[in-house]
Amino acid sequence: MLGKLLKHEFKATSRLLLPLFLILAVLTIMDRIVLGLNVFEGIFATISGFITFAYVISIIAVVVVTTVFVIYRFYKNLMTDEGYLMFTLPVKPSELINSKLLVATLWTIVSTIAILLSLIIVFSGTSYFPEIKDGFALVFEQISLQLGSYANLFYIELFVLIIVSIINNILMVYVSIAIGQLINGHKILGSIGAYIVISVIIQIVSVVALGVFSLILGRTIENVSALPQILFPLVIIGLVVTNILYYWGTNFLFKRKLNLD
Amino acid sequence: MNTILECKSLTKKYSSLTALDNVNLTLERGRIIGLLGPNGSGKTTLIKLINGLLVQNSGELLINGKSPNPETKKVVSYLPEKTYLPDWMRVSDTINFFKDFYQDFDEKRAYDMLTRLQLDPSRRLKSLSKGTKEKVQLILVMSRQADLYCLDEPIGGVDPAARDYILNTIISNYNENATVLISTHLIADIEKILDEVVFIKNGHVTLHESVDDIRSKEGKSIDTLFREVFKC
Repeated sequence: MLGKLLKHEFKATSRLLLPLFLILAVLTIMDRIVLGLNVFEGIFATISGFITFAYVISIIAVVVVTTVFVIYRFYKNLMTDEGYLMFTLPVKPSELINSKLLVATLWTIVSTIAILLSLIIVFSGTSYFPEIKDGFALVFEQISLQLGSYANLFYIELFVLIIVSIINNILMVYVSIAIGQLINGHKILGSIGAYIVISVIIQIVSVVALGVFSLILGRTIENVSALPQILFPLVIIGLVVTNILYYWGTNFLFKRKLNLD
Repeated sequence: MNTILECKSLTKKYSSLTALDNVNLTLERGRIIGLLGPNGSGKTTLIKLINGLLVQNSGELLINGKSPNPETKKVVSYLPEKTYLPDWMRVSDTINFFKDFYQDFDEKRAYDMLTRLQLDPSRRLKSLSKGTKEKVQLILVMSRQADLYCLDEPIGGVDPAARDYILNTIISNYNENATVLISTHLIADIEKILDEVVFIKNGHVTLHESVDDIRSKEGKSIDTLFREVFKC
């Protein structure tokens, strides 16, 4: 059943997100062409300026729309009248959460990759490109130099960290919405309130944890190799633990305390 | 096993209000049952409990002997009082959706009914009136071969002509093993198709009897009896 949920989730989300990526692709190609022409005077410069402006807006739009739509989709499909359809399907609440979470994570990754690719394409047409390339080469060189044999571990951990924090951001919104729906008549307000409260708690806990660990670990942190050895693993563990808590909370509230209007 | 639904001391409380109070109710297969009561009497709460949209505070609710779970949802076909289909979908999308998730969904029957009611499957739900959306929902729900149909106010929003067609659909579509539970306060319209009635008042089941027994004992129609029992 998860497969079918995923299929319908993709169908429902791609109808908005695919056209958005298509617009980004078209504007990327247009901007690449006009920047490659290197014309900075006259009427053509205005056109090229306009296209660059539209391009920048489209990048912002991809970030904003993807984020907002992922949240809106979860709320609309599960917490409003559509929830009557979804929660009476012969599936478990956890399968509903899984399908939404998987698709939301995937779209976030896709939008990030799309933006990076698009930036590379556009900048490859400008005179800055060699400098940017050199800059990145220098960063990678420094990482290998400073971390030595830990460099590979560093990249793997960085990758895991990115994925786990994307999931963390999404699940934090989900659990906030699941808490907010308990409040009759003020579900959205309740969700925002829950999100703020959770954020504050997470802030306090991280500050305290940071303080405790710096006291315990003390001087070992000064070495850069502490990043892959100590810091990244700790942050990943912290994120995984909160992910489990958010997921469990959302699932519990959907199973036991569902409160559709 | 002839019992489809069994409620034992079923109680559901909202923060300040007891919506269902110690309800004991057993429904047999092969009946069309009216769940009748004034607004706020607990009809929708009971139907939501059957469909797992709410969880009771105490007591038990069993469908085919099982508490509501994905297995029972396979055999319960539920029409809520809401328009619950995503409005960006076309009518044909909603049929594919039901076909994907419900093994007992009969696609051909759904398209036949759409044709009878002259509904174009390529229309988007967004462009349909509220009453038309309700017809689409009812068609989807009645195109399943379920054991238990829960219809919450199925005829409230549609015109009298469609109302007759819908009632005919209900009678002709359910089989002898299935039970149809219809919640409504438009009793006169559905009285003629009911086998049994359940009266519910302030969270209590006050009456559960066959329509024939009521008519012969009381000598009056269900509509008249309802007006007497629930007189304000």
